[in-house]
Amino acid sequence: MNKKSLRLFSAEVAKGVGSLFFVIPCLLRVLAAFKPDSEIVKFQGILPKQWTIANFQEVLGNPEEIPLLRWLLNSVIISISTATLVLTVSSLAAWSMARLRLPGKPVVYGVVLATLMVPGQILLVPIYLLLNTLGWLDTPLALIVPAAGGAFGVFMLHQFFLGIPKDLEEAAALDGCSRLSTFMNVIVPLSRAPMATLFIFTFVGSWNDFLGPLVFLDSLERYTLPVGIALFQTSYFTEYGLTLAASLLCTLPTFIAFMIFQRQIISGMAASGMKE
Amino acid sequence: MMTPRRAVLTALGGLIAAPGLLSGCSSNVIGGRKQTTIRFWNGFTGPDGRTMLGLVRKFNEENPDVHVVMQRMDWGTFYNKLFVAGLGGRAPECFVLHTRAMLRFALAGFATPLDTFVASENGLPEADFEPGVWDATTYKSEHFGIPLDVHAMGMYTNRALLKEVDWNPDTPPVNTAEFIDVCKRVRKLPKQESERYGFVFTNLETNGYTLIRQFAGNVFSPDMQTCILNSPENQNGLMFGRSLIDDALVPSPENFDAWIGFRQGRVAMAFEGIYMLADLQRQKDLDYGGAPVPQFGNTKAVWADSHNLCMRRGLDAPTAAATWRFMRFLSNNSLDWALGGQIPTRVSQLESPEFAKMEVQAQFAKQVKIVKYHPKVPFIFEYLTEFTLAVEKILRGREKAPTALKTAEDNINRIIERQRKQGVSGGDQA
Amino acid sequence: MKPRASGWMFAAPYLTLFTAFVIGPLLFGFALSLFRWELLSNVKPTFVGFENYVEAFRDPYVHQALGATLRFVWMAVPATILLALMIATGLNAVAGKRQGFWRAAIYVPHLLTVSVAGILWRWFYNKEFGILNALLRPIGIEIPWLSDVAWAMPAIVLMTLWWTLGGPSVVLLSGLQNIPVSYLEAASLDGATPVQRYFRIILPLMRPVLLFVTVMHVIGGFQVFGQVYMITRGGPELSTRSLVQYIYETAFNNYRMGYAAALSWILFAVIALFTLVQFRLMREERS
Repeated sequence: MNKKSLRLFSAEVAKGVGSLFFVIPCLLRVLAAFKPDSEIVKFQGILPKQWTIANFQEVLGNPEEIPLLRWLLNSVIISISTATLVLTVSSLAAWSMARLRLPGKPVVYGVVLATLMVPGQILLVPIYLLLNTLGWLDTPLALIVPAAGGAFGVFMLHQFFLGIPKDLEEAAALDGCSRLSTFMNVIVPLSRAPMATLFIFTFVGSWNDFLGPLVFLDSLERYTLPVGIALFQTSYFTEYGLTLAASLLCTLPTFIAFMIFQRQIISGMAASGMKE
Repeated sequence: MMTPRRAVLTALGGLIAAPGLLSGCSSNVIGGRKQTTIRFWNGFTGPDGRTMLGLVRKFNEENPDVHVVMQRMDWGTFYNKLFVAGLGGRAPECFVLHTRAMLRFALAGFATPLDTFVASENGLPEADFEPGVWDATTYKSEHFGIPLDVHAMGMYTNRALLKEVDWNPDTPPVNTAEFIDVCKRVRKLPKQESERYGFVFTNLETNGYTLIRQFAGNVFSPDMQTCILNSPENQNGLMFGRSLIDDALVPSPENFDAWIGFRQGRVAMAFEGIYMLADLQRQKDLDYGGAPVPQFGNTKAVWADSHNLCMRRGLDAPTAAATWRFMRFLSNNSLDWALGGQIPTRVSQLESPEFAKMEVQAQFAKQVKIVKYHPKVPFIFEYLTEFTLAVEKILRGREKAPTALKTAEDNINRIIERQRKQGVSGGDQA
Repeated sequence: MKPRASGWMFAAPYLTLFTAFVIGPLLFGFALSLFRWELLSNVKPTFVGFENYVEAFRDPYVHQALGATLRFVWMAVPATILLALMIATGLNAVAGKRQGFWRAAIYVPHLLTVSVAGILWRWFYNKEFGILNALLRPIGIEIPWLSDVAWAMPAIVLMTLWWTLGGPSVVLLSGLQNIPVSYLEAASLDGATPVQRYFRIILPLMRPVLLFVTVMHVIGGFQVFGQVYMITRGGPELSTRSLVQYIYETAFNNYRMGYAAALSWILFAVIALFTLVQFRLMREERS
């Protein structure tokens, strides 16, 4: 097999796997949102026999009981704020630990790394009690700020910063740049791709977080989407049509944002010269 | 160097402070009078929650000095959240507890006894409550909740399928012989693309509990100090369940969603709680009916639980009075609640002509005198895990009834022993 | 640059949050694990030393949950790494804009919240009434996806792959794209075949990224909870109940805070052990 055909072959395989495994379930879900409940429960073919927008009407038509757009807005605000805060504090910390010669650094970094292994659920009760003392419960702060203490971003960026040639920074330092401006002008432009990746991972993590908003938020109008959508699922049965319609409406904006972001990452990579 | 961080925090602050965006309602002033806010939490998601929201809105309109804010989430997470909130001293003023969960919250000091409110001038007529349901809310002779409903298990029937096998859908099976007859008839129907059954096990815990109680079994000794799960009665009840599967009349139980089979019209009978009615009401193409669960053993019994309105411990007098007014309102209006798929607990409402018109509810309500609650034990969750595990093993044929029940019994007795050592008192017999 | 304590200023914002929301709660949890604190008793929390840990080592449900967790890690992590590597290699060969589309397609499932993804797959998996068996039945296969002890965990792993494969694929893809073209050209000039190039040059260069992805997934695998809870609630017969679910239930359903805290620290120790072994193995291989 020559180089070209191998490339083509693996590309076809990737597309095949992609469509079968990833796209079809999503497609089923999208189409099912347009089915009446009886058709969802009893699978009668991939396409709806009887197209209906009743599910969407019910989900959107009652903003007092189902403030879907409000939940969407809350989710967007919380996820973007979380990702921004995490990116800011983690990148500064990761850089100082990767580059600056600090007393006691290995110990601190070791402790930070070790906490990667702590399951988040077990911190729930202590964090709840702390947030209660701070008076942050039932506010977006309860979800945004604790997330920035996580070790993942520091670990990821630390690994990356270690790979950046030191001479670039030293040159900037010789030019009389302060540490902060070295960071902003040299490091940040070079690290756009991993930073964008971290931003997306944090954004999605926050977007999908269920336990946090569930426990830390009280008011219906402050809910995020995952907690809001869960209201269509009772302990005994699920309102399939409503759940599917609501979740479709909510995935759409992230999907579009993600498609746009994709280009950014690719161009970021190209611009940073990482491809040599 | 603080600039980027400060910029972010300022931006965040701006977002949070954006007017109206995230503002909450704590206590507003209306017409010069202070409005009391009551937080009301429950597990009424789905259609139930929307019915309850309607009642809350009605109350808020009739009582301008009180503002009830309702929060709902599914029961599993509701209990966890209520518990965490209780720990943080932020439990809501009013919340709903199942009868079986009430003891835990009473023992943990989250719920307050309600007897003084019931007996007060603006109280509730104790005699109007269905006695079995009302007694189930007591612990050490104090009442910790006002039962809003009783959600008994009943038999849902697919009337069309019954007709197809020449069984009169207006007289569904009432005993073992008739029940097995229907199961056999359905199995003899010509094959379709997928199987059809006379009956499926949907919820193993509630189906299993009904079976053991119908065969005169029980879980604990009368003094609640010993688990007696491995009794011959319990073995017989669950072996009867397994025999239906051995005879190929009933499929081996799924963990989840066997109920979907009923909704698809491929199952003639299913034993489920009255709360599933709301699910069927959305289903336009299914001709369903309700009936009491047939009697299989020598005893009349059927699983049930109740939703109870409870009040947080330690409220100041005015807030407690306002909360009580809300609880009383809901109890007096529980007929509206029943419409969505519940059985009311007030005798006056059960006997009302409006309730008689609710077909399925009225059928299920015929069993109200024979309902059996799970025993009131503080370790209810651990007990239910063991019980359900045993039922699951037996019905699936993975273990013989005596083996599975013995394991569960030993484990539960170990839990009792552990609790005793740690100073937790026993429970109350249901 | 000279070592200066003021350099810590850069890390200060992070370290403050880290101390408040990670270290503090963690130490609180450790202290808790040495107490008997059961909310159902009138007895105040009492110091019991390591009694909770002793109980945990004897608890058959801990063994069962640990077994289920290890089975999940064992099935899910190697499959994730292998498939993600294949997908990344394939995507790397797709040109231009279309690469962006496919990359998004693979990542899309992860934009679903765990509750929706769980509902979706429960609906696929239903034995009698689900879509998967409806599709398999014409060829004479019917799989008891969630009701059979042998099938439930593989079913959860399959759903997890669908749900989470996008992340590692994207990370590995950016790793592949970071390999300097000059290395590959040099190898081609030396007459290496594409397959040789892949195994002798590309994979060794990918090792740091692979280590990162593997470590993160082993850690994540040990913490599996959400999708199990949504799909099987730990059943059938508790066979898929993971350690985190058991901890969660011990704390939030059984109200045994001290015991739950001890279980958390045991889980932490298990994860730390596995992570250390991985780092050690990788280091030995390198030297």
